[in-house]
Amino acid sequence: MSQEANNTEPKLIGLMAQFDDPDSLLAACEKVRKAGYTKTDAYTPFPLHGIDEALGIKPTILPWIVLMLGIMGGFAGLGLQYITNADWYPFIISAKPVWSLPANIPVIFELVILHAAFAVFIGMLFLNKLPTFSNPLFRVPEFARATDDKFFLTIDVNDEKYKPNKTRDLLDGLIGQTDVIEVFEDPSPAELPKIIKFVGIGVAVVALVPPLLLWRAYYQTSTVPRINPIRDMDVQLRGDTQTVSPVFADGRTMRPRIPGTVARGEWVDPIMLTGIVPETGEQNVLFLQDEEATEEGTKKPAEEENPADDKPAEEKPADEKPEADKPMAEAKPAQDKPADANPADAKPAEGEAPAQPEEPEPNWVKIAPINVTRATLERGRNRYNIYCSVCHGLAGDGDGLVSQRALQLEQPTWIPPTNLHTDYLLTQPDGKIYNTITHGIRKMKGYGDQIPAEDRWAIVTYVRALQKTRTGTPEEIPAVEMKELEIKGQ
Amino acid sequence: MATVNEVIDTTIDDPGNRTPLVIGGHDYGSITRLVCGINESKTPIAWYIGMLMSLSLLGMLGALVGYLIFTGVGVWGNNNPVYWGFPIVNFVFWVGIGHAGTLISAILFIFRQNWRTSINRFAEAMTIFAVVCAGLFPAIHIGRVWVFYWLFPLPSLQLAMWPQFRSPLLWDVFAVSTYATVSLIFWYTGMIPDLATLRDRTNNKILRIVYSILSLGWTGSARAWSRYEKAYTLFAALAAPLVLSVHTIVSFDFAVSQLPGWHTTIFPPYFVAGAVFSGFGMVLTLMVPARQWFGLKDVVTLRHLENVCKILLATGSMVGYAYAMEFFIAWYGGNMYEGFAFINRAFGPYWWAYWIMVSCNVISPQLFWFKVCRTTPWLMFVISIFVNIGMWFERFVITVTSLARDFLPSSWGMFEPTPVDYGMLIGSFGLFFTLFLLFVRFGPIVAMAEVKSVMPHPHSPVHDDPQAAADHA
Repeated sequence: MSQEANNTEPKLIGLMAQFDDPDSLLAACEKVRKAGYTKTDAYTPFPLHGIDEALGIKPTILPWIVLMLGIMGGFAGLGLQYITNADWYPFIISAKPVWSLPANIPVIFELVILHAAFAVFIGMLFLNKLPTFSNPLFRVPEFARATDDKFFLTIDVNDEKYKPNKTRDLLDGLIGQTDVIEVFEDPSPAELPKIIKFVGIGVAVVALVPPLLLWRAYYQTSTVPRINPIRDMDVQLRGDTQTVSPVFADGRTMRPRIPGTVARGEWVDPIMLTGIVPETGEQNVLFLQDEEATEEGTKKPAEEENPADDKPAEEKPADEKPEADKPMAEAKPAQDKPADANPADAKPAEGEAPAQPEEPEPNWVKIAPINVTRATLERGRNRYNIYCSVCHGLAGDGDGLVSQRALQLEQPTWIPPTNLHTDYLLTQPDGKIYNTITHGIRKMKGYGDQIPAEDRWAIVTYVRALQKTRTGTPEEIPAVEMKELEIKGQ
Repeated sequence: MATVNEVIDTTIDDPGNRTPLVIGGHDYGSITRLVCGINESKTPIAWYIGMLMSLSLLGMLGALVGYLIFTGVGVWGNNNPVYWGFPIVNFVFWVGIGHAGTLISAILFIFRQNWRTSINRFAEAMTIFAVVCAGLFPAIHIGRVWVFYWLFPLPSLQLAMWPQFRSPLLWDVFAVSTYATVSLIFWYTGMIPDLATLRDRTNNKILRIVYSILSLGWTGSARAWSRYEKAYTLFAALAAPLVLSVHTIVSFDFAVSQLPGWHTTIFPPYFVAGAVFSGFGMVLTLMVPARQWFGLKDVVTLRHLENVCKILLATGSMVGYAYAMEFFIAWYGGNMYEGFAFINRAFGPYWWAYWIMVSCNVISPQLFWFKVCRTTPWLMFVISIFVNIGMWFERFVITVTSLARDFLPSSWGMFEPTPVDYGMLIGSFGLFFTLFLLFVRFGPIVAMAEVKSVMPHPHSPVHDDPQAAADHA
């Protein structure tokens, strides 16, 4: 590490004074600058305040570089977004203009900061001529403490004022100086060893091969399929729609459901699913398939078999009648007996039988085929409030918010929802209410696809509970709760 | 200079009686020996134990990420409607942690808060590693990880598509990647002089080469220092708005949507305050044990800890104010969905998360009103852990409760995290601590050059010499 190791006389390139404290160094810098030296430098373990003036260091141009790069970053962000989003690949979202500056500001801002930060970093290194790994100072053993706790002042031999003895005397006379050291040129060759050059060029050439191959692959046609390391959804083991399958005799890739079969894991008790007690085993399967069939399905469930009961009245004259105070008898199934008990909410009278031929009712389940517990009822209430209450009202009076609004707006096609407390519903078997929830009725849409069967039954039990609130007798209230009510004074 | 044995109360509140930032009678050389000693001493057993634990957690994270990539994002508990579950919660959490480092190094630098010098390196390292953890989650959340580069505006030969720059999610890509890049070069720039110190001290040949390359041939030239300081100031000036913008943009991910509980203008400042809060919480969590184990009590004094506690108190109160203001605006705004969202947060199915958040974030930092809490390290450590927990739950509450209960009851759904979710959260701590332990072992964990520039100057012969003093003046 020291200069004595070399045979040839090393060339002196500068003198260096060492100090123990920053104040002495500052005073020394001042003195050296006043003596007229310009090729000087100080080395300190931390930035010393006041040394710029003491040594005559000019302000750096770094802020201007950063400003320029920052502005460039701003235009880069603006241009990038304009060109890509407004020109090359315009996105139209909610009919908004393809170019809307406020939404582009965050990216512009970030790019300004990013460019400016790179300018700071690279600019600082560039102006400081870093990285420079070879420095004659590193050959001076004492200099290792320049990054620790010692302070150094150097004067270059190339300085105009440099006189071998005079400069030495100047440094020797500095207050607080602990040592004056001669700095010699690095005698090792400045050129890189040839082997490193060749290896470097070789590595660079080899590194170019993969990108060139990729480039070639993109721009050349090929007779073999392209290599697809990650297949995503390009290659799948599947039959596409509208394609021919060699596997099946009929040549169809998309297989229709085989009549009379139930897929594995899809078996559900048909009573549970349809609300109808089947007469034969075969019917079970039919109902089950209907339940899952799409609208174009071959068979329709109860509604089709009993159009008089459940078929909605959408196409009937009721729709044309603008005023709600006219009876909408057609809208009601045939067997409805009494009139609506609740005329106050502008509900039309019900019960007039339409001239439809009666067909036999299916064998409705009388009581919901589920285990009714408090939890079931809670679930039923929860689901009812979500799905049903908007029309039927929270208490089932047929006065839900949607209905109120429709009546208020005098919607001509609106058929008020059924009051759940009418005899029409009170007398219906559970299975039929369930069926109505599943497939809908009149204006009401079917909820079969939306609510699982369990929940539909839960709703049915909750509807029953709602009805009990009007039809129940004091005797039906459990003794414990009766007591509670008495305490509350009701 | 103080003698070694003199006990200095660094927590005096008298503004006219500022205590030194470095105590214990240190000079420049002893600071170097103190900090470099951490790297040069024999690796303690505790480090190996910590590393082993962190590495096993990291391994678990790696395995889970592999499992996720090969199986698909269905291994998470994310569902419809809660399609932003743990991954985004963890992302926002880690990005928030990262903010303290940049805040300490940039904003406190601009405000000339010299006490920052003792803790900024530590905190900046924390920033970098937290951002690494944060970046992981959105990257794996996109599903098809191998085409993550579609997020960047790269010319695409096959698709002829470009990203949608008006989406907050894309702003996020730019904000977080800019933040990571700028924090990294800021951190590295700050380390160059200290790496040079390590280079000049080490006897290990391999380490010498590594430190030589990393320190780029830094000599400590006054001309270089002059530009370096200018560069550092510029960095601080750039990083200060950046740090505010990043969490603002993260909050835009939420605030620009229409969801009740998300669609609020308070989000940007509220998120930034929360980020600073959680970041300083993590600084305290790491610093209290570190100053104990590495013998840094002379450099990181009680006053430093007290200052961090005061920031925690301030930001914790800001966060508390934001919680209250969200509630108030939900009521005052008269939007029933908004009102429901907040009542549901506090009393709905996720009430426990909400109250964990409130008690950890609002109540626990209030203890710092008492001086005894601000000067008792173990108590600070405990509270800082609470802050970390609370801030994680804050992100959980914001993300999950709003998604699980939006406008239509028919589209409600609860979120149930899977073991993979939990494993990735814990594993991300493994990643964080692995990186941190490596840094503690091989990097300069205190900014030596900066500490030396703010410590009291030693006895100078110049002041004894009237002639020299006159020259100097």
